Amino acid sequence: MENIIIQGSHKDYFIPSVNFNAQNGMCEIAGESFLEDTVEFYKPLIKWLEEYTTAVKKPIAFIIKLTYFNTSTSRSILDLLNVLKDYEDNGGEVVINWHYDENDIDMEEDIEDYMIDTGLDINLIPFSQQ
Amino acid sequence: MMKMSDERNTGFDTRMFEEEVKLTYKGPIDERILSSIGDYISTMEKFADATSVKKLFKIFLELAQNISFYSAVKVKMNDNREIGMGTLVLKEFDDSFFLLTGNPVMNDNIISILEKSEYINSLDRESLRQYKRDERRRPQGEKGNAHIGLITVALTASNPLDVEVSPIDDDKSFFSIGVKIDK
Repeated sequence: MENIIIQGSHKDYFIPSVNFNAQNGMCEIAGESFLEDTVEFYKPLIKWLEEYTTAVKKPIAFIIKLTYFNTSTSRSILDLLNVLKDYEDNGGEVVINWHYDENDIDMEEDIEDYMIDTGLDINLIPFSQQ
Repeated sequence: MMKMSDERNTGFDTRMFEEEVKLTYKGPIDERILSSIGDYISTMEKFADATSVKKLFKIFLELAQNISFYSAVKVKMNDNREIGMGTLVLKEFDDSFFLLTGNPVMNDNIISILEKSEYINSLDRESLRQYKRDERRRPQGEKGNAHIGLITVALTASNPLDVEVSPIDDDKSFFSIGVKIDK
């Protein structure tokens, strides 16, 4: 299985950095997400996770370090988490770590909402901004 | 000879130059406007505490994206894309920011937008979060996204949406949302 590596950028659109590694099961999304076509951007990531969870079937560490995402991205994040939830329900090993600015109470609430929504355990990892 | 200002019609509303007004814009709102005004807002962090500026940034992007998608008046760009027209006014006070965004809306859609906004304003925080989760579970669709956008704005601001509608003509009305963000 191929890895997915996307270099993030902050120009007219904000493209998150993506690093999905099929060898060690580490999947990271970081940065900001405001995209021209959100569905089109996240579709291959969702497909990758579906393939990994059906073909490779090894543990996944899913790491989110998004500092900003818009509403349409929030739906795609839910889609990604739902794939992880299905995998876990079928015996897959999943750890989700969500890093966020300790002052960002809105982000903390967002993460809690995802936990309520999916039934997944998400580790909240606050960091302090320098 | 220089004319006195009241002798010519500049088309400028002098209220735009009041001290608390930090930014005004009218025109098509595409991704270049979104990101450059968004970045400008982020740089205001030097003058205010980071949390309120981050909230302002998030709220600005949601409301401006709504204009871009749903404004009833579109401008055709040279790459054939149609971009929504709208207006933005950002004011800064000692204890808060006030962001006002507006755009023309087809009269047929006014009632549903007003009902949505009123419903959002009637909910407490927990119910609003529940409403957001319910809306987000629905299939992807542009209309749904607009509602989640408004819910997100209300949650982020922790203040009610100040919604106003004034008639333009038989087909359209000018719809505006004002949001206060406490510092």
